[in-house]
Amino acid sequence: MKPKFQIDAAAYTALMQGLNSQYFVERKGNMTDFRLYYDDLWLADTAVIENIHRYKGEWAVDLVFAHIHNPLKFIRRNITSHPCPKRAAQKAEFMRRLAAKDQRGTLSITIQSLNLSHN
Amino acid sequence: MYNTKQRILEASVRLFNENGIDSVRLQQIAEEVGISVGNLAYHFKNKEAIVESVYEQLFEDFNTIFRQYLAQPALTDFDAQIAQYYRFFAKNHFYLSEFFKTAGLTTPYHQQWQENMTKMMIQLKSRLQFLVAKGDLLPESQNGQYETLAEQIWMALIFFIPKAQMMARSVDEISYKSGVWNLIKPFFSPQGKQEFSVTILPQLYW
Repeated sequence: MKPKFQIDAAAYTALMQGLNSQYFVERKGNMTDFRLYYDDLWLADTAVIENIHRYKGEWAVDLVFAHIHNPLKFIRRNITSHPCPKRAAQKAEFMRRLAAKDQRGTLSITIQSLNLSHN
Repeated sequence: MYNTKQRILEASVRLFNENGIDSVRLQQIAEEVGISVGNLAYHFKNKEAIVESVYEQLFEDFNTIFRQYLAQPALTDFDAQIAQYYRFFAKNHFYLSEFFKTAGLTTPYHQQWQENMTKMMIQLKSRLQFLVAKGDLLPESQNGQYETLAEQIWMALIFFIPKAQMMARSVDEISYKSGVWNLIKPFFSPQGKQEFSVTILPQLYW
């Protein structure tokens, strides 16, 4: 018979005590604990734009996630970098296509949605 | 659909219960399953292999009962665990004769049994501590009172069925459960008594 995992009696006792106290210690969480989901909800409605720029002698690939209704609300994330600009562009293209996948079709922003004032 | 291996193990447990491990032959097991000895040899090389698998399953089942510990804080949680102990010991009572037959001789199965029994005892003690902390049982009136109670409960769980057999009485799940609950009853606090009479009692005397 192959040797089985064995637990020490003292460790098992401690484990049981832990389970016992769980009932007295654990409390229901607050709704505000889910705040992070709510805070990041706008990211589901973002268009992805790639951005390539020189950084420390290499071509850095950044992705900008801009909200489709209010493009001035955006976040920028550095993805990777590459010494060759063409390869960097290729990588940026792939990463953008991957990040932009959406059941509704690729979301995009237009210049109109920026709502510029020309006075 | 059962697979043959499982059917062989179940038939072996039945025969071990009736005749003891030593007096069961492969031929008998094959007949019980309704297959040829050749087919049996295809699934299990020899009787040792069958015994090993039976024990493996036995310990796995036993550990499944341990895992049910305190799924809920209510008394019904312990009641459900007692029911599982009953089903386990009723199904596999050959372990007891095997255990005492080879007394003095320590086999790997012995060691595993002893480990499981230690675990069971720790779990029972811990269950009583939990019930005291929850307020279902009265606080200890003298030191070590609940340790003794845990040992009594342990004895009832293990030896209730052999005791009934010795006295030529039939045993069912309800009498088994009552046997265990009767030990705990005197220690209930008013709150525990109330919960017991609402959730457990109707099952015991319906």
